[in-house]
Amino acid sequence: MLRNVLLKTLRDYRRSLLWWGIGLAAYTTIELLFYPSFRDFPGLEEMVRQLPKEIMALFAGDVASFFSPKGFLHDQLFFLFVPLLFIAFTAAFGGAAISGKKARGTLDLLMTHPIARWQVVLQKFGAMALATLALGGIFWIAMAAVSVAVVMEVSPWRLAQATFSVVLLALAFGSIALALGAYLLNALAPVVEALQPYHTLSPFHWYIGSDPLVQGLNLLHVASLLGLALGALALDLLAFQRRDIAV
Amino acid sequence: MTLALEARGLTKHYGKARGIEAMDLQVRSGEVFGFLGPNGAGKTTTIRLALNLIRPTRGAIQVLGLDARRDAVQIHRRVGYLPGELALYDTLTGGELLRYLANLRGGVAWPYVENLAERLGCSFTQRIATLSTGNKHKVGLIQAFMHRPELLILDEPTVGPDPLMQQVFHQLVDEAKADGRTVFLSSHNLAEVERICDRMGIIREGRLVAVERVEALKARALRHLEIHFASPVPSEAFTNLPGVRDVQMQDAVVRCAVTGSVDAVIKAAARFEVVDIVSHEPNLEEVFLAYYSGDAGHVA
Ligand SMILES: Nc1ncnc2c1ncn2[C@@H]1O[C@H](COP(=O)(O)OP(=O)(O)O)[C@@H](O)[C@H]1O
Ligand SMILES: [Mg+2]
Repeated sequence: MLRNVLLKTLRDYRRSLLWWGIGLAAYTTIELLFYPSFRDFPGLEEMVRQLPKEIMALFAGDVASFFSPKGFLHDQLFFLFVPLLFIAFTAAFGGAAISGKKARGTLDLLMTHPIARWQVVLQKFGAMALATLALGGIFWIAMAAVSVAVVMEVSPWRLAQATFSVVLLALAFGSIALALGAYLLNALAPVVEALQPYHTLSPFHWYIGSDPLVQGLNLLHVASLLGLALGALALDLLAFQRRDIAV
Repeated sequence: MTLALEARGLTKHYGKARGIEAMDLQVRSGEVFGFLGPNGAGKTTTIRLALNLIRPTRGAIQVLGLDARRDAVQIHRRVGYLPGELALYDTLTGGELLRYLANLRGGVAWPYVENLAERLGCSFTQRIATLSTGNKHKVGLIQAFMHRPELLILDEPTVGPDPLMQQVFHQLVDEAKADGRTVFLSSHNLAEVERICDRMGIIREGRLVAVERVEALKARALRHLEIHFASPVPSEAFTNLPGVRDVQMQDAVVRCAVTGSVDAVIKAAARFEVVDIVSHEPNLEEVFLAYYSGDAGHVA
């Protein structure tokens, strides 16, 4: 695990990955275990049908899919909570990789070894992508296993696609965090407001816009998320190439 | 004569703050060069420019004949560096850290690493977080020396008070020199630089004020002498001696400052009964003052 920067970075994150994986799997399991009682709860469907449209839109997609397995998964996991967890994991990873307190101190040592700066950024990005994929794998296994156990009819392939979509979303944020770490540092706040009109550039726009659980992965959306991640990565590479390394 | 390090008009400003100013510096291949200056003089700045950790505001620096910016990776392959503010990977053990850094270099001769560790008394199995500052310093020295680099750049390498460690450090520098390798080290301790180095450059407030052979500097060094006599002596005996100034008389004690040879003072004192002689090495500030008061040597 000490052969190169990528493996070393993964090694640094193995414990964190383990705990995140356990937490995410536990949360998924508990959520899905509720599915049978939710599905079989007498009168619940009637009640939900009488809710105003606006409230439905806020909490879920449309009424028709609310009680289907996919609708349940979408509302309970994929709509908000799981993407946020993934983003938190990956963005924290990206933020710590170069500009984290620990990474910054040891950058002098790393950067005076025969390795180009773009190599360091690329390898840290690779480690971040692999760790996020691994977390996605854990999440998928937990979800697929429990959905079989509670007789929830949803294809594991679709679950995998939905999970992959979450991973891409997280990576887009992760590489932005990496890019910020590589250069912008504290200048974030004004940028966020200035970017409001460009919300189609937001990774969330492309994530929410597609519904991989129901429709499978949409190539355009995947390409957008990937493009965003890689665009941010390109910025990282450029920025880090130029900047002074502070002690 | 090839140069291990050559700075031309090298300038670094941190925003509006001064880093270093128009530095011209030449370090020859195979010499042990001491970069001497008080805290904040700009030693670390110069070193970090040489290693492409920061970019110059103006000017350029060449390392081993290569451009510090363009050929950084190649330079890093051939240089060993001890950072002034050493930060290591806390979660690794000393051995793991050295393996990792060796891997980044595409491997190094491991028996030599073990040899270095043994001589310095450095543990491989203890996690770095639990090591004392002195022991971390040892790991730092090993990673700088382990690939037998052509050029060693050591930022304040002799901070530790451990005499055994200082002795091993001197040996390592001597060995490097015997191999024809170059050592560039920074320090704020004159005595230390005098002991280890062939030549030294003196830096103050971001400017290189003198470069001098250590031998030559010693010959012209300012020394404070305090001579205790058995009984008071006539003050005329010590005035107008060559290289002697600031003569003070107090009872039977004469104090004076001597530049260069102390021969004349000793001969003058020998005519009376001497009880004791105390000699104080000049501190760095006085060496600078000597340069500023016009006694400055020219660049050697
Ligand atoms: N990152 C920085 N930002 C602002 N000023 C700095 C920075 N690093 C060094 N300096 C300033 O540059 C000058 C030279 O510092 P340095 O090269 O660290 O000196 P030395 O190593 O000789 O003690 C000092 O005045 C210091 O305050
Ligand atoms: Mg310094």
